[in-house]
Amino acid sequence: MKKILVVDDEESIRFLFKEELEEEGFFVEVASNGKEALEKLPEIRPDLVTLDIRMPVMDGIETLKKIRETQRDLPIVLCSAYGEYKHDLTTWASNAYVVKCADLTDLKVTIRRLLGLL
Amino acid sequence: MGSSLDRYEVLKRIILVSHSPMEGDDRIPQILEALTEAFQAKRCLFLPATRGSEDEGSGDPQLKNREPFLGEDQASLLVPLADEDFHYGLIRIELDRKAENASEVMELLHLVSKIIAGTMRQASFCSQSEKALLELHALSEVGKAVTSTLKLDDLLQLILEAGLKILKAKGGVLRLEDPETHELRVKCSRGAYDQNPLDEKIAKRAFFSQTLVSLEHRGETNPSLSVLCAPLSSRGKTLGTLAFYEKEGVPSKFDERDCDLLRSIANQVSCAIENALIHHETSRIVRENEKRIHQLSTLWQLNKALLTTVHLERILHRVLTAITLGEGFGLNRAMLFLVDEKSRMLKGKMAVGPDSAEEAGRIWEALSQRKSLLERIGELESLHSNSSRLDAMVKKMAISLDVEDCILVRTVLEGKAFNIRFTGASEGWLQSLCEKGCRVGTEVGCSAGEQLGHDGKRYGFATIPIWGKGKVIGVILADNVYTGYPITDEDVEFLTMFSNQAGLAIENALLYRSLEEAQQELKAMEAHVVHQEKMAALGELSANLAHEIKNPLVVIGGFARRLYRAISEEGPEKRYALTIIDEVSRLEKVLNQVLTYSRDERRDHEECDLREILESSLAMLPTEGENGPLRIVRAFSEDLPRVKGDRRELKEAFFHLMTNAREAIQEGGVISVRAFSQSTNGSSWVRVEVEDSGRGIRPEVLHNIFNPFFTTKESSLGLGLPIVHKIVTSHGGHIEVDNRPGQGVTFIVTLPASE
Repeated sequence: MKKILVVDDEESIRFLFKEELEEEGFFVEVASNGKEALEKLPEIRPDLVTLDIRMPVMDGIETLKKIRETQRDLPIVLCSAYGEYKHDLTTWASNAYVVKCADLTDLKVTIRRLLGLL
Repeated sequence: MGSSLDRYEVLKRIILVSHSPMEGDDRIPQILEALTEAFQAKRCLFLPATRGSEDEGSGDPQLKNREPFLGEDQASLLVPLADEDFHYGLIRIELDRKAENASEVMELLHLVSKIIAGTMRQASFCSQSEKALLELHALSEVGKAVTSTLKLDDLLQLILEAGLKILKAKGGVLRLEDPETHELRVKCSRGAYDQNPLDEKIAKRAFFSQTLVSLEHRGETNPSLSVLCAPLSSRGKTLGTLAFYEKEGVPSKFDERDCDLLRSIANQVSCAIENALIHHETSRIVRENEKRIHQLSTLWQLNKALLTTVHLERILHRVLTAITLGEGFGLNRAMLFLVDEKSRMLKGKMAVGPDSAEEAGRIWEALSQRKSLLERIGELESLHSNSSRLDAMVKKMAISLDVEDCILVRTVLEGKAFNIRFTGASEGWLQSLCEKGCRVGTEVGCSAGEQLGHDGKRYGFATIPIWGKGKVIGVILADNVYTGYPITDEDVEFLTMFSNQAGLAIENALLYRSLEEAQQELKAMEAHVVHQEKMAALGELSANLAHEIKNPLVVIGGFARRLYRAISEEGPEKRYALTIIDEVSRLEKVLNQVLTYSRDERRDHEECDLREILESSLAMLPTEGENGPLRIVRAFSEDLPRVKGDRRELKEAFFHLMTNAREAIQEGGVISVRAFSQSTNGSSWVRVEVEDSGRGIRPEVLHNIFNPFFTTKESSLGLGLPIVHKIVTSHGGHIEVDNRPGQGVTFIVTLPASE
């Protein structure tokens, strides 16, 4: 079973993502900001990370940089309410960029694609 | 014989004859008769003294004695008639016998001689005093005449009349020297004597010799001509000549006395003529000064009228009105052209003047009440409708300053006025030359000739440059098309003075106008900046708000979907969940639009192929839908340059425009998408036009369509066109709307082509 780390400062989002992704057959761990995610990362060793951008303590961009320092191949999906970071960041470091919306199909398809499950 | 000669009777008879109330010359025959009878003579003769004989006598010493004496033949008695001063002649009594030298006889004859001489002297005095009286009378007539008037022409006429009367001449000619040409010009005449070439010759002779010329001309075929011509001299200066022809009566010759009379007349009138000439000259100067003063005061009034406003249209109108007004320049029509330096064109701005002679009459009638110039100008401003045909025609005129042979252009380029009169040009006025040799033969000419002038051959006009700060800023064209009065060079001079003032006023008005325009532009800019700031603030606020709302929506929508999936059987719960999902989707759409509009400018620009972008946008457009069948017409030029920009954004922009077009078409129609390159101001652009066959935009909302949150559609947030606008302007392009209410709209997007 593939392990996914969901990083988001909003509890309800974490809850929704966890429910949805577990239903898809993933094992889901959560972190409420970048710092917590970095701390949990060695222990959890996820197969994929979903990363919110706007977060307190450490934001998504900073977290992405930090993760890439040690793990170049870990698939990371940036999730944000904004649409415009897409061009800047997908080419730079993340594997995918998904605009958060209520219909999580896009996110699920992206995760499956990155994990080689499609 | 002694007995027959009654000395007393002889003396008595002679005395009676001498004292009879007869004319002096009629007494002589009676006296001779009396003597013949008394002396029983063969005959008695009176031999009048010839001129110059009184001193020398006939050489006979006895004549000198003035005593009667016996003739050499001894048969005649000779009686000299003389007094102390004058020798009148000789009476010769011829006898048929030898005369006696009786002392009584001689004494008698001596007495007779004294009586006759006395009578003759008296008669001579009488006629002399008569003459003197007549002369005096004549001179007093002349005197009266010359003092009765100062009007030169009247005076000269009076002088001629008086001279004719005094000299009893049949005709006369009065000539005066022209002060400029120095010719002896005929001022007035009686009879056609001035036509005779001889007249001028005689006049010149009298004029230059400064002496009276008396001439008996005997022509070979013509009857003889008697003429007296006196120079008119005053204070050593000869002013002219006065000549009289042919005395009435017989003989028709002028005598010495007439010469004297004419001399007197000439002397007397010369002074009067000189005075009249001076008066004439003075009056002329006074008139000129009055005219100058009138001109100056007119200029002053016009200037005042011009200074009371800075409104250009009003100033132009006043300038032209002043030219057409009776108290101003009184010309029929005036037209004004201004130089447009940018385009190097002379453009018709305004014209004032009636369209027809009838209208001219009406306007002049309406203005016949006397009022001040200023009031009249104001009145005319309302009278002349600016919609006159002339005005409309002039406003359409535009002449390139390169058309150098056009009279209006020449006026600008040479900076001087032209006064042009066409007279009797046979091949129409286009070929005619003005007096200064300028050829009129261009559009203006054509327009001026065909439309301004009714009869080209007689049409005349003046062009006056308008100077403003050292350069010609325009031209005034004025004419007298209805009255046909000539425009004098003096008018042109005055117009030039006026146009200088007008130039300053126009220049000021132009400056004022550009200042006003600049101010308006600034105001608009300020409003725009304020608007932009507002929009930016609104954008930022919206972005934050959207972001804050978005996460909860994701959660709500997400769990609604879970609920929907969790509810297995169809029922109201499942419908509730679906409603939540739909509403959240709608909200998310709105939020995405807000976020797109308010996002930052940061973006990656790449070389985009607009054809590909347009095709993919069109591909997303449903071809069949609620609004009926849709036909899409593409016209993309082959050599379409690439555009540097954000592919996704551009696609979004065009997609918006196409969606708009699609929505505009109610019952099916055509969307045309055209793309081609164009070159403006030396740079290359790509122009994309998206046209629909819908109903167009209502004109009252047109100015709002690019404003965010403005919409006419119920289902729209009103961010579509603002987003397009934002995308296009952020790419350095422009968007324009060609709105044709009821027929459709074309959105025209121009983007800079990449190098």
